[in-house]
Amino acid sequence: MNSHLPVSAVITSAEALTKNTTLFTLLTDRNSAVAAAFLPGQFLQLSLPGVGEIPISYCGYLSADGSIELCISHVGRVSTALKSAVPGASAGVRGPFGNGFPLSMYTGKDLLLIAGGLGMAPLRSLLLALRAERHRYGRVTLLYGAREAGALLFLDELREMKKCGAIELRLAVDRIESDSEPLPDCRIALLPALMDQLEVDPARTCAAICGPPVVYPYLVAGAHTLGVADERIHLSLERRMKCGIGRCGHCAVGGYLCCVDGPVFSYAELAGIEGALG
Amino acid sequence: MAATFIATHNLEILLDHLRQHGDLYGPVRGDDGAVRFAPLLPGTAPDLAALRTLLPAKKYLLHPCETILNFTADAGYQLPIEVVSPSILFGLHPCDLAGISYLDQLFLGDEPDPLYAARRSSLTLIGISCTPDDYCTCYRTPSPLAAQSDLFLQSVDGGFVVTSGSPRGDELVESVKNILVECDLSVPEDTRRFFCAPLSQRHLPETDETDPEWQELADGCLGCGACSVCCPTCACFDVLEFGGLDDVSALRVRRWDNCLFKSHSQVAGGVSFCKDRAERFRYRYRHKYRGFGALEGVPACVGCGRCRVVCPAGLDLRPLAERLDGGAP
Amino acid sequence: MKRLRLAIAGLTACSGCQLSLLNCEDELPELLNQCEFSFFPLACSPAELAGEYDAALVEGCLSMPHERELLLELRRRSRYLIAVGTCAVWGGVAAIRNGEDRGELRRQVYGQNAVACEMSEPAPLRNVVTVDADIAGCPPEKEELLRLLTGLSRGALPVTVDYSVCTECRMRENLCLLTERSELCLGPLTLGGCRARCPSLSVPCEGCRGPVPEANLKEAVEIYAQKGFDLKVVLGRLHRFWPGWNQ
Repeated sequence: MNSHLPVSAVITSAEALTKNTTLFTLLTDRNSAVAAAFLPGQFLQLSLPGVGEIPISYCGYLSADGSIELCISHVGRVSTALKSAVPGASAGVRGPFGNGFPLSMYTGKDLLLIAGGLGMAPLRSLLLALRAERHRYGRVTLLYGAREAGALLFLDELREMKKCGAIELRLAVDRIESDSEPLPDCRIALLPALMDQLEVDPARTCAAICGPPVVYPYLVAGAHTLGVADERIHLSLERRMKCGIGRCGHCAVGGYLCCVDGPVFSYAELAGIEGALG
Repeated sequence: MAATFIATHNLEILLDHLRQHGDLYGPVRGDDGAVRFAPLLPGTAPDLAALRTLLPAKKYLLHPCETILNFTADAGYQLPIEVVSPSILFGLHPCDLAGISYLDQLFLGDEPDPLYAARRSSLTLIGISCTPDDYCTCYRTPSPLAAQSDLFLQSVDGGFVVTSGSPRGDELVESVKNILVECDLSVPEDTRRFFCAPLSQRHLPETDETDPEWQELADGCLGCGACSVCCPTCACFDVLEFGGLDDVSALRVRRWDNCLFKSHSQVAGGVSFCKDRAERFRYRYRHKYRGFGALEGVPACVGCGRCRVVCPAGLDLRPLAERLDGGAP
Repeated sequence: MKRLRLAIAGLTACSGCQLSLLNCEDELPELLNQCEFSFFPLACSPAELAGEYDAALVEGCLSMPHERELLLELRRRSRYLIAVGTCAVWGGVAAIRNGEDRGELRRQVYGQNAVACEMSEPAPLRNVVTVDADIAGCPPEKEELLRLLTGLSRGALPVTVDYSVCTECRMRENLCLLTERSELCLGPLTLGGCRARCPSLSVPCEGCRGPVPEANLKEAVEIYAQKGFDLKVVLGRLHRFWPGWNQ
C-alpha cells in the first residue's frame, strides 16, 4: 500500500444513528489493505475531496465485499460537511493506521469492554471481531454509557448479542429526556457507576476502554478496584493525527506517537504521562 | 597529515565547476544585510563568514507550504509530479548537515515521503567548517546526529582542506583535481566533532509540570512561531485541503506548523490536549530534546542557535533542557 | 448540481471587502457555476431579500438600527453567516473612537448643524448574531474569499489560521522589522493569513487583521518599550482595527 495516497471509495449508505451521528458504509477496492487488513481499534484517514481529511476509527469488521463501516459524529469541519454526504458521493481512504486492540493477548481471556458515547464505535469493531471467533474468548461484558437514551448507538444490535448469549450488557444514561421511551435495561447513572458490583476474575480479565477523555481516570480507577492489572487495561486515545505515519508531529503522548504506537495503549504505558488521559 | 587542499583563490573555479553539475545554492548576504540560502549565480560570492542563514536548508527539502496531493474526478487523488533538477547546497555548517540528517531519518524511513525523497536524492551537500559564536550551542551537548556531507571544506590558512564523504563526493574531487593540491598539513579539529556522538541510553523521568520555569517561558512567548520556522529540525506540518473553482478538483497542501500554536493539539469539537502554552512548551521540550516515535531518544536540537536569535522575546528553552537532562549525557 | 445561494451585504464599512470579491475577475465566471449571488446590492439589482440562503457574507460593523434589522433578517434566512473583513469581525476602523461620547464626536465632525441620526457604537456582528466563521482582513485576501466560497459549495466552513503575521513573515524569510530594525511592527499580535503582505515589502504590520488568538499583549508591550515605543503609541496603533486592546 502507499500510505500517502488515498484510494477512491464510494459512500454506499448513510444511516442517521442519532441527530448528529451517522453510520457510513463505504465501498473501495476490496483487495486494498484499508478494507481487507485492519484490526479493531485501528483507524483510517477519510478524505472528503475539496474539504479535508480526518482520522476515523473502524466501526465494523472485515467484510467479504470490502465495505467499510465508519460511525461519524458531525462535530468538526470535515465531519460537518460529511453530514450532507449522500450515497454515491465519492471519498478517499488510506490506512489502516495504528496498532489496534491486542487480540492475541485477549485469546482465552474474559473481556470487559467499556464504552462512553461515541467510544462505542471502535468497540463495536472489537465486539464484531470477538463475535466472529467467539469460542476463542471467555466472558465478554460490555458497559456502555451515553448522555441520553437517544445517544446510545447500535442498541438493537447489542441487545441481540446479549439475547444470544454472546455478551453481557450493562447500559447507563446520564439523564432521561422528557420525550423518550423508558429503557428497562438501562440505568440512570454515570458510566463508571456500571463498574460497581461487577464480578470479574481479575486474573483472567482484560479491559478495553474507549470514551471521552474526561471519564478515563474514573474508569481506570474502577478497573483497578476490580483488580485488573495495568498491562491489561487498554485505552484508545483520540489525537489530531494528520499524517498517520508518524511524521506530522501532532499526536505525541509522552514519547509515543498515537498514530503509530497507538491509538490503543495499555495503562501501564500511559501512567505518569502528562495529559495522556486528556 | 596528508590532505587535499584548495586555495581560497581557486574557490570560484570550484563553484563554476559545481554549477555544471546542477543548480548551485549557498549563503548569500542580501541588500538588507540578512543572509539566506539563495542561488549562487556566477558573480555571486557565498558569504562564508556568516554563521547562520535566516531559514535553514530544510526549505529546499520541505517547502513552507506545498501541494502533496491533487484530486480530480477522473483520477481521484494523485501524488504531484515534481520535476526535480540536480541541486548543490554549498556552505552548510555541521549543524546544518546534522539537521538534514535528522530530517532524513524522519522522512526517509519505512515509507519515504515522495516529495522529500525526490528532492533529497537530487541534492549534493557541501559542508564547510565554522567557528561557533555566543548563540551556538553545538559544543555544549554533543549530538548523536551525523554531520554527513558529500564534500566538506575545512578552513585552514590560505584555503580549505577538502574531504569527500560519499561516492558522489569522490567524483567531484576527481573532476576538480586540477585545482586541488595534495600536501602535508596540520589540520585543526572542527565542529563536526560535536556530532555523531553515541546515543544516550539514559532513561529520563517525566517532566515536572510544577517547575515554575515552564510558566515563565509561556508568559514570555508571543506565539509568533519563529522558533520552529527557523529550526533545522522542526518538521511538524499541518495538512489542509482546498477545493478548485470547478467544484470537483482539489488540492491538498501541507504547511509548516508549530507545537506552540493552540490548534496544534486540537481535535474535532475544539478539545485541546495541550491547553496552555506552558504545557505546549513541555511538548516542545519533549520533542526537541528527547524525541518521540521512531526518533525517541534522539535529541533534535543541533545547536545552531537560530531559535535564540529569532525569538523577539529572547526566550531560550535550552538552559531548562540542560538542567532537566542533567547536563551532558 | 445545485448552486450555492449567497447573500452578500455591507453594513458600516467602505465596501472594500465586497470589492475584493468583485475584483476576482479571472475566477468569477467559473465560480458562478457554483455560486449564485442572489442578494448583492453592491453588484446587482434588484436587491430584495427573497427566500433562504446557503450563506450570508456580511461586510462591515453595526452602527445603525437598519443594519441591525438587515443582519437579523440575513441570519434568519441563512444556514451560515460569515463575517467578512475586520470591521465585521472586530469593529474595525469605524470603532476607533469607541468609548468616547458620540454626540461630541458628531459635533466635532459635522459641526453644530449636524443632523441627528440614531447611531450606536460600532460593534462587530457577533455582538448581535451567531457568526459561523470569520474572514478577517482589511480587506481579506482574494484567496481567502475564493476558498471561503469553494469550501461553502462543498458544505464546509473555511479553515481558519490561529497564528500571527510573524509566522508567515518568517516563512518568507524576511528580515524581522521589529527585532532587527526596531520598527513598530504589530505582526506578533496580529492574525496571519495575509502571507505577511506588508512586512514583505519592508512596511511594518499595521494590525489590520485584528488580534491573533492568545495574543500576548503584556510581553509585546515590554518588547515595544525596549525598542522605544511607549504604551500610548502602541495602543493607539492597535486601536485602529480593534478597540478591545487593553493592557
